[in-house]
Amino acid sequence: MSSQTLDKLPIGASATVLDVAGEPALQQRLLEMGVLPGVQVSIVRFAPLGDPIEIKVMGYSLSLRKSEAAHVTVSA
Amino acid sequence: MSDTTTSGRHARHDKHTIAVMGNPNTGKSTLFSALTGTRQKVANFPGVTVEAKIGTARFENSELTVIDLPGTYSLSARSPDERVATEALLGRIEGTPKPDGVLIVLDASSLDRNLYLGTQVLEFGLPAVVALTMMDVAEARGITVDAKKLSETLGVPVVVVNAPKGRGLDELKSTLHRTLHHPGKPLELPYPEDFTRGVGTLHENLCDLGVELGFKPTRPEALRLLVDGAGPFFEECEEVGGESWTRQFFEIRERAAGGRSLSMVEAQTRYGAIGGWMRDVKQTETREGRTKTDVVDGILTHKVWGSLVFILAMGLIFQSIYSWSGPMMDAIDGGFGALGDWVGGMLSEGALKSLIVDGVIPGVGGVLIFLPQILILFLFIAILEDLGYMARAAFLMDRLMSRFGLNGRSFIPMLSGFACAVPAIMGTRVIEDRNTRLTTIFLAPFMSCSARLPVYVLFIAAFVPETKVLGFLELQGLVLFAMYWVGVLAAIPTALVLKKGILKSKVTPFLLELPSYKAPRIKAVARTLLDRGGSFVKRAGTIILAVSILVWAAGYFPHSQRVDDQYDAEIATAEAPYSESVVKFDPETDPDSLMAKFLEADEAHDARVAALAEEITDDDALETAVADSKKKRNAAMAEIAASSTEATQALNDYVAWKELSEARGEIENQRAGHHLENSFLGRAGHLIEPAVKPLGWDWRIGMAAIASFPAREVIVATLGTIFNLGGDQDEESDSLREVVKDARRADGTPLFTLATGLSIMVFFALCAQCAATLAVMRRETNSWKWPVASFLYMTGLAYVAALVTYQVASAWGA
Repeated sequence: MSSQTLDKLPIGASATVLDVAGEPALQQRLLEMGVLPGVQVSIVRFAPLGDPIEIKVMGYSLSLRKSEAAHVTVSA
Repeated sequence: MSDTTTSGRHARHDKHTIAVMGNPNTGKSTLFSALTGTRQKVANFPGVTVEAKIGTARFENSELTVIDLPGTYSLSARSPDERVATEALLGRIEGTPKPDGVLIVLDASSLDRNLYLGTQVLEFGLPAVVALTMMDVAEARGITVDAKKLSETLGVPVVVVNAPKGRGLDELKSTLHRTLHHPGKPLELPYPEDFTRGVGTLHENLCDLGVELGFKPTRPEALRLLVDGAGPFFEECEEVGGESWTRQFFEIRERAAGGRSLSMVEAQTRYGAIGGWMRDVKQTETREGRTKTDVVDGILTHKVWGSLVFILAMGLIFQSIYSWSGPMMDAIDGGFGALGDWVGGMLSEGALKSLIVDGVIPGVGGVLIFLPQILILFLFIAILEDLGYMARAAFLMDRLMSRFGLNGRSFIPMLSGFACAVPAIMGTRVIEDRNTRLTTIFLAPFMSCSARLPVYVLFIAAFVPETKVLGFLELQGLVLFAMYWVGVLAAIPTALVLKKGILKSKVTPFLLELPSYKAPRIKAVARTLLDRGGSFVKRAGTIILAVSILVWAAGYFPHSQRVDDQYDAEIATAEAPYSESVVKFDPETDPDSLMAKFLEADEAHDARVAALAEEITDDDALETAVADSKKKRNAAMAEIAASSTEATQALNDYVAWKELSEARGEIENQRAGHHLENSFLGRAGHLIEPAVKPLGWDWRIGMAAIASFPAREVIVATLGTIFNLGGDQDEESDSLREVVKDARRADGTPLFTLATGLSIMVFFALCAQCAATLAVMRRETNSWKWPVASFLYMTGLAYVAALVTYQVASAWGA
């Protein structure tokens, strides 16, 4: 299975999280908010200025910056 | 049993304290309000910028103290603000009662994520009750939650509540009542063996450290410390345990991790357990089509429509704080002015009268004047927050704000700063991240607020020629525009310095939940307004009032009798040529006299002229209208005078009285100016003259700058007094403008030039001459450190900028 990072997914795409990395504080926050391996995420939209991204995870909407999403590896 | 609340008049059977915990946007605060009604106050947590509310709920014979802790997604704590929830839960905060149990609020529509915090809290083993909210939202999304099964799984009672509709509250109260009598049992999750052993080892290690720490650390805290590996608790342990402790700690950590990230182990264990429970507890039927929130979001976060709605909404907010608050502020201003006149009329001349009329009344007025702007801003914030739009606004603006080390949530406070820094700083409460909030608080006063406008208006009208640039741009308008940019341009490097320097945090994650849209609740909005208004008046108001009175005293004392005697003698000389009936005439005490009738006709004319000036913009037309009014007045006066010989005499007396009144007024203004020059404030002006000379200022401007510390716009009135015009000058008054133009230095050269005017404007654009801002900063950061830093930095910056402005402008011959 090939993989890529969450910030590269197009609008409407769904994927499964494979790994979450990044600074300890960022990694912890992402995990706490439900972005962890095995979880389904989908891209809802980008903000009008192109950043941040809105994703759906665990049934709710979460906004995160592209730089943050770049630490989340997902299945392609 | 807790002994935390006073017994009151009735002997209550028992009293307990519970802490309420939950994620943001779960309806936690609504539930808290529904439980406690109006019986609530704000708890002060020293050293942190978040606050909690404490209220009392009654159930049958018992009384329940309820602490509403700040909403959070996790107990992990990298800043004191995040640590406070744990500390409060364990009753370690002085002045806040120790909870006997905990009420966990869970949003049924995103139960998995809500349970993350839920499992963390349940591990503490306090008696616990779960309140399940948002069942209706969940159902609309096709999610059914079995409360009974959830209760069996978690081992604690679960009550379904709908606080806005008042459903489930009684059951919740009686469940709490029952539960608090039984000890709780800590939740146990299936962590990997290495991890569990690590928590145990660290817990023992921390207990050995307990004496030095001053409290007995609990096992869940050991878990938190193990995983977080940073933050205030870690620093505390490091401090008391020294290097050897730190070494041990990282050894324990490494063994516990078993080659993985501890955060990952924790999250996978918790969410793993939650996922397992959910198979029994929750049923999701996939619904076709989009939810209401999805549809609304399609518009509100749309590239074009979303941006348009956002711009309109922000325009509305700005417009309303900037201009719509005007009439209310004028009413407060006018009301306090009238109150001052009325009270002043009843008091005899002297220090007490001056204290009340010039110190206390304007001081109180100076506090209340902020209320319209604060209330309007919070009306919008409360509605938008309640609606769920605040998170969307942050989503839209994050890209822009992140360039300055801020985040999307900083936008509304910064925008409000252009109206007034006081509501702006209070508005930073919407920013969850501590460092971003502090940066925003520090930057908000740089935005050019409406109190700077009078200073700009006065000096632009006096010194900037009314010419056009490039044929259509008003030079005066351009200068005003430039003044607004001075603050913004100074704020940008400041933001970058803060980000790299003092608040040296790596870029803080900006993970933002976009909650589903809800209708705003009027009650909650009203409560927010009451809260914010009240807390401003109580906590910041006292400081503002104290500063106003201090500055009044500095401008009044030492009130030399010799100066008074000198001016009393001058008044006596001025009165000498007039008859007693002229000297003694007082329209207040003789309202029915003939002279008073002439005064009435005169005042009617003045009122007509004032009204005409508002209506008619054409100069020639105005002149004709004024002449008409004068004719009317003269005719009315002539008619009264013709009625009797007495009346003719009275007209002569009236004319003489008017002349005398003017002479008296001039002497009084000179007296006030002389006293001000002699006062401590005047002496301070002389003292700092060498320092402000390079800015092109003399002692009078220096003094006016000091006197304007309570509020910038005071400089206008102070200049009025020092130039012997009396204190009631405003920036529009021609006489002040003229006097400012005519003022000379000791050597006869003009005091104010374009260069001086620009230097004063730049100084006021950047300085922190606003006691209210500093007081609110103190209140919101819970420390004097920030207002002091802000004052020193802004004053220093203002000084340097004014210096450069003056030197450059004079070199150009301005």
